[in-house]
Amino acid sequence: MKILGQKLDRRFFLSLFSLFAVATFLPKRVFGKSDYRRDKNIPKQYIQNRDRPGFFIRSANPFMGVDVNSWGLSISGMVENPVALSYEDLFGFKSISQISRLKCVECWSATAKWEGFRFQELIDRVKPDLQAKYIYFQSADSYYESFTLEELVRPRVLMVLRMNGQPLSKDHGFPLRLIAPFKYGYKNVKYITSIKFTDSRKRNYWSNHGPYSVDGTIQPGIDHPLDFRKKPLRINGGEVFHPFDKRPS
Amino acid sequence: MRYFLLVVFFPVIYCVSCGKEEVEQIEIHVPQGVTVPKDMVYIPSGQFIMGHPDEGTTLRGQKVSLEAFLIDRFEVTRQQFKHFEPDYNFEPNKAQFPVSMVTFEKAREYCQWKGRRLPREAEWEKAARGTDGRKWPWRKYYEHPNNGFSGFLPEAVDRRKEWISPYGVYGMGHNVWEWTSDWYIYDGIPGADLNRFKVIRGGLSQTHTLIKFTPTYYRNRIEPTAHFNFIGFRCACPMQCQ
Repeated sequence: MKILGQKLDRRFFLSLFSLFAVATFLPKRVFGKSDYRRDKNIPKQYIQNRDRPGFFIRSANPFMGVDVNSWGLSISGMVENPVALSYEDLFGFKSISQISRLKCVECWSATAKWEGFRFQELIDRVKPDLQAKYIYFQSADSYYESFTLEELVRPRVLMVLRMNGQPLSKDHGFPLRLIAPFKYGYKNVKYITSIKFTDSRKRNYWSNHGPYSVDGTIQPGIDHPLDFRKKPLRINGGEVFHPFDKRPS
Repeated sequence: MRYFLLVVFFPVIYCVSCGKEEVEQIEIHVPQGVTVPKDMVYIPSGQFIMGHPDEGTTLRGQKVSLEAFLIDRFEVTRQQFKHFEPDYNFEPNKAQFPVSMVTFEKAREYCQWKGRRLPREAEWEKAARGTDGRKWPWRKYYEHPNNGFSGFLPEAVDRRKEWISPYGVYGMGHNVWEWTSDWYIYDGIPGADLNRFKVIRGGLSQTHTLIKFTPTYYRNRIEPTAHFNFIGFRCACPMQCQ
């Protein structure tokens, strides 16, 4: 008996068995392991959680980061004009900058100067249907987030391309991330690849993998700002402003 | 004997231990001629202890005297708010949850539409803690039962009888924070912060996944244009209102 020109005899099955056996005992890295969420042996060059002074790095799914030559931003769903944008296209939008604090649900926070464009620019480009009340983001690292459209057109929400005067680093979400300062850090999705307009709310990564709400609005409570030696300070809820932070006028 | 323990004694002990503790209520005598609407509570005139000595932005435990007033027994619900704003939508199974995402101005307009007004901060605090200066509306401290979740979990405004205030007002220590009509001021407030924030009262605070009740005297502040899922309101009025 032959399948695809291969004779199915004892020799064939023995070789097949030996290949499986060898494969079982080979280190996983031989096959290019891609999921390090439950493995502490993450390759050094991968983006991963790091407590860097000044601004901690948090990333749910360790990965190599985005190669901008193969990156594109897809905007689709319930829109009149779905588009695919390249990195260069994003610099055609009106540039806005702001200083705002990123507040992590793990209790630390840090500030940066963020530069980018308003979400309204994308709305104007794709012309969403009236029923499209929700937005679903997907990232290069398989992360995903959801928002109401109303939340994304609030004044302090920014689609970010630059941080502290430099293009976003891989660790901080190159080439494109979201900053919504009234939401916990996990809502501030990085390495965005896709934006979808929908008429129903989807769940987000951390509500499916941990005890975190889909909404992610910063609640009144306590913050430990990295720029205040992590000393506990009360926060009121919403965007965090400590006594030493400058409020937008 | 074993039968008695199994069938009678242990079940009785179990039932007693599971019973929800009731909050001791202040006896109220409503003066003749005053009509208290069904959804409101009469708070008599007189002094109460406001603030706490350890909280610098409060009145630090001073005695404050107020005229009698009425205050909503419950936070304004989503269903009630829809009567005021027909375009407002909510999930039908959450009709009795507190309305949220309302600005100070929208809350003020609602109360005005009802023939009422937002409570003053002092009124709110007296309704929450009575006259004995208690830290929690229900007096005793315990941990919030929803610990282990990072986010806001509202619930029906009439759900927690065990967490009522000594005047029988619900939701003064949990559920949404509530707008009051006062600006956030205190001795020594920076000039830039004057007339910038309204006082909100009586919600939860959290650190990571640890959720805590906030004391009756704790003042939170928020810009009046803010609208968040953790802010709602209730109304109040002087002695006579609709």
